[in-house]
Amino acid sequence: MRALSIMRTPYSGFVLFSILLLLLPFTVANDYYFNVLIIIGINSIIVIGLDLLVGYTGQISLGHAAFYGLGAYITGILSARWAWPPIAGLLVALVIVGILAFLIGIPTLKLHGHYLAMATLGLGIIVFILFQELNFLTGGPSGLVGIAPMSLFGFTFDSDLSYYYLVCVFLLATLLLSINVVRSRVGRALRAIHGSEIAASVLGVNVSRFKVGIFVLSTLYAVTAGWLYAHYIAFLSPSSFGFMFSIKLITMVVIGSLGSLWGAIFGAALLTSLPEFLVVFEHYETSVFGLILILVMIFMPRGLLRGLEDLVRKLISMLRKDLKERSLTS
Amino acid sequence: MWGPDTGPPRHEYNNMTFEQQILQYLITGVTVGSIYALIGMGFNIIYNATEIINFAQGEFVMLGGLLTVSGMQLLHLPVPFAAILAIIGVSIVGIALDRAAIRPLKDASPITLIIITIGASIFIRGVASLIWGKEPYLIPAFSGEEPIPFFGAVIQPQSLWVMGVALIVVLSLRQFFGRTLTGKAMLATAVQPRAAKLVGIDASYMVLLSFALSGAVGAAAGIVIGPISMVQYDMGVMLGLKGFCAAIIGGIGHPWGVVFGGITLGIVESLGAGLISSGYKDAIAFVILLLMLFFRPQGVLGKSKGDRV
Amino acid sequence: MNPVLKTEGLTKHFGGVKALDQLDLTVRQGAIQSIIGPNGAGKTTLFNVISNVIPPTVGEVFFNGENITRMQTHTIAAMGLTRTFQNLRLFSEMTVLENVMVGMHLRSKGGFFTSALKLPWVFREEQRIRGESREWLRFVGLHDHTDQIAGSLPFGNQKSLELARALASKPKLLMLDEPAAGLNMRETQDMVQLISQIRDLDITVLLVEHDMDLVMEVSDHVVVLDQGRKIAEGDPETVRKDEVVLKAYLGEE
Repeated sequence: MRALSIMRTPYSGFVLFSILLLLLPFTVANDYYFNVLIIIGINSIIVIGLDLLVGYTGQISLGHAAFYGLGAYITGILSARWAWPPIAGLLVALVIVGILAFLIGIPTLKLHGHYLAMATLGLGIIVFILFQELNFLTGGPSGLVGIAPMSLFGFTFDSDLSYYYLVCVFLLATLLLSINVVRSRVGRALRAIHGSEIAASVLGVNVSRFKVGIFVLSTLYAVTAGWLYAHYIAFLSPSSFGFMFSIKLITMVVIGSLGSLWGAIFGAALLTSLPEFLVVFEHYETSVFGLILILVMIFMPRGLLRGLEDLVRKLISMLRKDLKERSLTS
Repeated sequence: MWGPDTGPPRHEYNNMTFEQQILQYLITGVTVGSIYALIGMGFNIIYNATEIINFAQGEFVMLGGLLTVSGMQLLHLPVPFAAILAIIGVSIVGIALDRAAIRPLKDASPITLIIITIGASIFIRGVASLIWGKEPYLIPAFSGEEPIPFFGAVIQPQSLWVMGVALIVVLSLRQFFGRTLTGKAMLATAVQPRAAKLVGIDASYMVLLSFALSGAVGAAAGIVIGPISMVQYDMGVMLGLKGFCAAIIGGIGHPWGVVFGGITLGIVESLGAGLISSGYKDAIAFVILLLMLFFRPQGVLGKSKGDRV
Repeated sequence: MNPVLKTEGLTKHFGGVKALDQLDLTVRQGAIQSIIGPNGAGKTTLFNVISNVIPPTVGEVFFNGENITRMQTHTIAAMGLTRTFQNLRLFSEMTVLENVMVGMHLRSKGGFFTSALKLPWVFREEQRIRGESREWLRFVGLHDHTDQIAGSLPFGNQKSLELARALASKPKLLMLDEPAAGLNMRETQDMVQLISQIRDLDITVLLVEHDMDLVMEVSDHVVVLDQGRKIAEGDPETVRKDEVVLKAYLGEE
């Protein structure tokens, strides 16, 4: 409980989290777990961005895998076909996807609820089909190979440990920027839009501008994650960026707890490592995943992190009551 | 990606004139479009009663096909009986979905409802892959496979079944919602939930009924396309989304709109795949979906909503 | 004096119903003006059309001489026109203080990048917003509830909060949609006090209200609507004695 409330004051939570990330490698014995940690970090970056859009602003996206994929493919293609350095790949991807997301975001974010869900889902599928069909660029379904390993400013990140720390730097940077955004005029405007678009606009909040703005920002996070992924895995196949992955991302946000950045990281960590736990179930993996989704939504609609927090609080108040009664009787 | 193909084998197109080819694409388009329309109707039924988009609609279709296969293989039933059994079975799945996942969540946000129906679809798909495995099955054509010549093109007998079933379903739904007391009560629940309650309509029963009915319609779609394309545990994903596109194009909640939307979508896809590139076939539906959502979200036949605040 | 707000031939149809019918309305600078009328007279529709939450069918709206008929709601707000809502539209998941801080949106500048980087001026601006928002809460008497979640406040306090939030934007014209609806006698008296104090802040008030006593007590000028038309206007005393008005009200009961 204490630990949870420390996490509430963002900056001390941030420092604690940084220390945790720094020390984590010393507890990891095996390369395979490094791999999982790196993927968790990459997914966390996307999910933090998605949470800003979905959890804080209340706008759903079922197509975020596409922007992740665009980040990965743009840097991958530049690297594999024209030997561009990774940093150039990142910048080009950020600019292209930023402009694209801006142009798409204007008409898309006028939609609400299920319509917005279907529009973003459609976008995701269209981009996925482009990954598959633009053979000459993407390598099509058989995949894109020959992506150079990550090197920045003359340093090559070729060990799992160094890549882990690289991902951590980006994760912490994204997290810090997001904490700042959330606790600012912008963050309040976003949550106001979530609460009531009409009330927000009556107070002068330019609703469509802020919605498109946060949409673009969240796609830029996804692009950064895609860039980290491409230079880590060095092989891209469209199936990593399909509809199911978009669903998985939104599930991470929802299960982790909508509108909580720590929840986003928690959700990403849980769902990324879940398949590792579910290996015990083998063939049952998909159905168990579906079942968990349903159960969490029914019993902890505020997400697991908040759900657990509520549970702990309830336990504590029960204990207190119990103690009080005992002291009264004695 | 998955997609039914009702035309003759590709090499036979070479013997046709351009006009005959176009005709053939149109026939294929109308057949596939009828299926999209059927699936779209399933969306509509639940949406009308609850304003929920049921992302597990495609799974109803898949279950309809696979249950028919099992009825034939395990119980050695003829197609019609296996089909009826499958339709009943999927209706029960629909009821179970409502009771287990939708009903416990009163007043949930759209996001929660989207997630929960997606969870249900993943769950059902996972269970289906356990029961039937990942291999495709074939349902034999209802009345032979001798193609019927039609102005130089051909029609598969099964295509007529598909179109016929779609037509019968849409007509009976119209009768049901327009003429029967239960049907009218279901519509009333959707339009005026509070008023419906006042006159004694049991809203939660109506929602249950809509899930059962939607399951039945979805199952019918899965059964009639069985002979045209293989049925398989993951066939529902794309079909469900296409059905939703059909509903949006026509105007969601609009009974004839979804037929119009489905057939338009089927024809455009078929022409696009034949004349441009089959790889982009699935993208066409979603490009149309986006254009519709951006420029005419109420659909081609739908009326725009009132703007009272 | 120049009118702050003026409508010309303002008309709004909902299907066959005329919620507003050729309405010409003038609001003078510095006044507290009330709009009364039986249920369905078009009072709330008038507010919705003026703030362009819904567009009018025909007619024009002028604010400080500028035509705002086709401007977006947030642009109109930026010009100095804001409002409250009959059925409350608080940001119910945010704290009381945060609600008022959103009210200061127009009077601050932090954007996506400057906020993400937390530049020094953004930090100072944030402190100014926080400080002034507390003042507004004190003004409406909610300073003991700053960190409570807005949705958990009692109804009367929620009404005051919505008022504080609107005031924080320092509007030139504030439209209050039934500020006393749902309040008990005591709370209504407090609300009357508050509204009279708002005038001293150099804010013009246009208010829609059912509570006649409140209207008569605070208003300088009263306009009576019936079925979307203006049937009478004048100072409270004149309107109170107007026969057309009496008929409209009695006809309803």
